[in-house]
Amino acid sequence: EIFTIQTSFNAGDFSTQYLTETWLPKIAEMTEGRVEIQLTPNGSVVPARETPDAVAAGVLDGDFTSVNYFAGLEPAYAIMGDLISGYDTPEQMLAFCKDGGGEAVMQKAADAVTGGEVHVIACGPYSREALPARVPIRTFEDLAGKKIRSPEGLAAAVFKAAGASPLSIPFSEVYGALEKGIVDAADASAYVNNDATGLHDVAPYPLYPGIHSMPSMQFTLNTEKWDSLSEADQTALRDWWYEAMFAMAAEVTKKDTELAARDTAGEKIEVIDWAQADRDKLRKVARQQWEDYARKSDLAKEALDAHIAYMTEIGLFGN
Amino acid sequence: MKRLLAGYAASMNRISVFIGQSCSMLLFACILVSAFEVVMRYGFDRPTVWSTELAMTLCASAWVLSVGYVTERHRHISITMIEMLVSPKLWRVLRLIQMLIATGAVLVLTMALWGPAMKVLRRIETSGTALNSIQPSYFKLLLTAGCILYILQLAANIIHWAQDSEGDVAGGH
Amino acid sequence: MGIELITLLIVASLLGLMALGVPLGITTLTVSLATAILYFGTRAGFFIVAANVGEVLHKYELIAVPFFVFMANVLERSGIARSLFDSMAIMGGRFRGSVAVQTCVVAVVLAAMSGIMGGEIVMLGLIALPQMLRLGYDRKLSIGIICAAGALATLIPPSVVLIVYGLAAQVSITKLFAASALPGLMLASLFIAYILVRVRLNPGLAPIFDIPETGLPLFRRMKFLKGVILPGLLIGAVLGVIYSGIATVTEAAAIGAVGALVVAAARKELTWVMARDAMRQTVLTVGSIIWLVLGAVSLIGIYNRIGGGEFLRGTLNALDIAPILVIVVMMLIVMVLGTFLEWIAIIFITVPIFAPVVVDLGFDPVWFGVLFAMNIQIYYLSPPFGPACFFLKSVAPKGIELQEIFAAVLPFIALQAVGLFLVLFFPEIALWLPGLFE
Ligand code: NA
Ligand code: NA
Repeated sequence: EIFTIQTSFNAGDFSTQYLTETWLPKIAEMTEGRVEIQLTPNGSVVPARETPDAVAAGVLDGDFTSVNYFAGLEPAYAIMGDLISGYDTPEQMLAFCKDGGGEAVMQKAADAVTGGEVHVIACGPYSREALPARVPIRTFEDLAGKKIRSPEGLAAAVFKAAGASPLSIPFSEVYGALEKGIVDAADASAYVNNDATGLHDVAPYPLYPGIHSMPSMQFTLNTEKWDSLSEADQTALRDWWYEAMFAMAAEVTKKDTELAARDTAGEKIEVIDWAQADRDKLRKVARQQWEDYARKSDLAKEALDAHIAYMTEIGLFGN
Repeated sequence: MKRLLAGYAASMNRISVFIGQSCSMLLFACILVSAFEVVMRYGFDRPTVWSTELAMTLCASAWVLSVGYVTERHRHISITMIEMLVSPKLWRVLRLIQMLIATGAVLVLTMALWGPAMKVLRRIETSGTALNSIQPSYFKLLLTAGCILYILQLAANIIHWAQDSEGDVAGGH
Repeated sequence: MGIELITLLIVASLLGLMALGVPLGITTLTVSLATAILYFGTRAGFFIVAANVGEVLHKYELIAVPFFVFMANVLERSGIARSLFDSMAIMGGRFRGSVAVQTCVVAVVLAAMSGIMGGEIVMLGLIALPQMLRLGYDRKLSIGIICAAGALATLIPPSVVLIVYGLAAQVSITKLFAASALPGLMLASLFIAYILVRVRLNPGLAPIFDIPETGLPLFRRMKFLKGVILPGLLIGAVLGVIYSGIATVTEAAAIGAVGALVVAAARKELTWVMARDAMRQTVLTVGSIIWLVLGAVSLIGIYNRIGGGEFLRGTLNALDIAPILVIVVMMLIVMVLGTFLEWIAIIFITVPIFAPVVVDLGFDPVWFGVLFAMNIQIYYLSPPFGPACFFLKSVAPKGIELQEIFAAVLPFIALQAVGLFLVLFFPEIALWLPGLFE
């Protein structure tokens, strides 16, 4: 059976190419040809915000989407979708989803916004976003007074608490806004994607590794379709996704690092890597904002508690 | 019955025109909000979190709610080449068909929009931005309301057609 | 049923409904709803249409359209448009076709301050069209110029088409903007050349403004420049606001709308009634435009989901021809899709399939992006689904029907195609400028 899965990737994204070339053939292999997946780009069938309902209604067989898009449907999605300045690496949070209770919270959120018609197979991020900036932001203190495009609620709250002015310019205007100096920095994408779309031409002081965002994705299937699969195929689908995401996380980090090293060596771009002390300061400010945000719903609180328990367990609040 | 229908059509016209002309104030407010954001950001270095969503909401309201006014003035855009090819009598019949197709299509669209609109009434959907406004819920309700207004005005236009009391219909249906 | 047949049915029913005189937004809506329900049933079918239609209201860039329409309405009502064109006609002296040529130049300048199609066409339709008709210019020529030159808004940077293409194909937007500037100017030059040739061959198309002033020597005509000053300042201010980083392109349009009121006040022509009527006209115009857009987007998800993309992939894979011809075929496919699909839908369907092939064949995706944007220029004008023509119709003076607009733009579509093929076979036209930055 061929499942049509809408992603939140653009057609030309590195992730789309990588998944299509390397990983889509493997799912057929792992299920002996019983399951095939066809990925369609962001917004190509329904707008990203609408994918849970689209999966429930059967317009799509499933989705592979950044869950931050659903923050307005249920606040828990913001906590699960991008715990601003939380984890250090995508692998940490992938493990949280896989073994630390993340999936269960995501399923509860899916049930809250649809009528149990969406099955969450897996979740987790694959990249830490860089922060393209047109002026140097070298330390935590440098954030003060900077105008930063960050439309998402939690990110805006963290930047505000850190002394910056968050703005919500639509993505189509980001490019011009950075070029002309309407904003000092803008939430965008992974280093490799920002490099491809030329954002560093207009924002030559990217912060990499990023300091704020690590968007998490979900992999879902319409419950009816999920139930029609054999247990072996269900397991295969979940294993496949996590394998692909861990591999993609490694690959994107590799690409990002290579490009950042190239740009560091060059003249035009200065790649800024925050000291651990500055990152810790931001995480401390952020934690207060997570807690405020988690008050928006019981499920959001549950999501944050699960995060904190796991992050404590792996020693992210070690000191 | 005939007078009742004529009364409905006349009052529907008035309602549509009133709402439509009120919409012009919303558009004006939208212009001011957008300009205000520039002043706050560039002049005072204090960007607002609300201007984008507010401007969009004002503008969308004007767009959608002006539909009755646009329909009453026959300003929907269409190709009217066939008017020159057929007899006035046939054209008159065709105009009824156009209005019936429009009514049918908008009715089905209303049915399509109905489910999502009822859903946001049960469980509110917000924008998830810093402002976290109820904009997405509002838009779903707004569009449904706009469709209903469109249908009501189409009904009035059909009554005018039947009673030969249409005004200038050069613009469209 | 095969996708070929469904595509044919979709196009045929669109044509049929349009020919019956059904409003265009309703036409696309009817076809979308019918396709969705037949293909997916009511639950999924209703959802896919509702979701895509509802998304239009979330498109922030679109709010620039009412700003431009209002700006134009104020300029037109306050007599500024009239004195602007009087000045232009006098400055052009006895040079045949000068006002048409100047309108093209103005369109290029306006294109630098607008990133979307629609606002500029409506603006030119409100300001330039009645004035060109008043000065005796041929209707078809005037209409064609306004649609074709007004569409340049998304070829000359900034351009939302290039931004969406750049994001979809992951191509540098800086390079796309640099690469599209020259092709944009080239198209404008083709339009101007065409005007000059036409008016030489048939002087009746563009009468000379026969008042004594136009016969004066150039330096004595200079004092008539005063009609240009206020609108010139307004345009200068909007461009300045954009290029100095004070406001985004959309916000700058709002500044322009406020600026138009200031200009009217400076001429002591600003009254409450004038502003109110301008606003009411704006509501009627944008209120009719939004239904076109709502209808157009309703087909987005459907065509993709029923296998439009797979069909294209199969078609391309079956080709065994020279690489440059593959690009030609891609351009033809975009042209065909452009007769019935919205441009965003075209990007969604074609870019995932075309972009990797273009790179595999060894072509520059920036160049392909420019070709794509030029093809979108053709899409704007080409019947039956020609949004530029629809936008102009929404403001055209009484008596100008859509079929006349379609007939008027035909020669300009040919010129756009010539431009497209020039860039296709001489990629340097696009790639020279971005190459300078390397
Ligand atoms: Na432009
Ligand atoms: Na077209």
